[in-house]
Amino acid sequence: MKAPDEELVALVVATKNAAAFGELVRRHQGLVRAMLQRMCRNHALADDLSQDAFIKAYEKIGSFTGKGSFKSWLCSIAYTEFLMAARKRRSTERAMEKFKSGLEDSEAPRDMGNVVDLDRALATLKEEERIAVVMCYSCGLSHSEAAEATGMPLGTVKSHVNRGKAKLQAFFQDSEVMAS
Amino acid sequence: MTMDDAFDERLKAAFADAQAPLERESESERFAHSVVERLSRPDRKRVLILGGAGSTGSAIAGSQLETIFGNMHVPADGILANAAFLMSPEVMAAGAMAIAIGLVAAVLPRRIAG
Repeated sequence: MKAPDEELVALVVATKNAAAFGELVRRHQGLVRAMLQRMCRNHALADDLSQDAFIKAYEKIGSFTGKGSFKSWLCSIAYTEFLMAARKRRSTERAMEKFKSGLEDSEAPRDMGNVVDLDRALATLKEEERIAVVMCYSCGLSHSEAAEATGMPLGTVKSHVNRGKAKLQAFFQDSEVMAS
Repeated sequence: MTMDDAFDERLKAAFADAQAPLERESESERFAHSVVERLSRPDRKRVLILGGAGSTGSAIAGSQLETIFGNMHVPADGILANAAFLMSPEVMAAGAMAIAIGLVAAVLPRRIAG
């Protein structure tokens, strides 16, 4: 039987046990990497940021109070890493332009089953909308968890998710009409 | 199920599909291994910065000691005269540098581990 996250966290806090932390990484790496890949749309950069996020989580693990889930705590650290990386470039907008250049534009959109299409659909959203949608749909966080992780007000997260979802729905409907 | 719910499910499935390749055992093992390896490897940049700062500080402090202790009057006879060689500015400066470097060496591993 798998030990719950909270037990592994307690072990890491008490003994700095790298093996226990490795198990936490194994469990959550897919979530964190997928979230960062969808946010910055550059897989190599997303993997670097994911590694940095896990290292930061290890260093700050004592600050995890257990109030929320470990997953949402981890997502908030990964989100901070994403913001810091974006700030390192002169402005977030310029950073996003750079991230956008990593996308291939040659292939026409087909449906949601294609990861490229999902990324292309997400590229039509505003940054805040994309972040809110990724937090809720990719990471599976509730609106309030996403609000806590991003520091946005709950109502703002809800409206970003709704607007983002409507834009995605329109994008996929258009692309399906084009394909048929 | 409303159209909105159906789209919700499709969206969740699309994100899950995008995440699926990352959840393969070999992939998660590879990533976890690289993170754990980084944990056990001290940050070289941090060591160099801390070590460099400590060494520079102690070198500056050491170079100032000669002017502080240079005007000391060492007794020409008595018990202290036997230990006079220990009170030369050069020896004192070297001693102070050794203490400073020793402190840096003691603090550095703790800072890195912290």
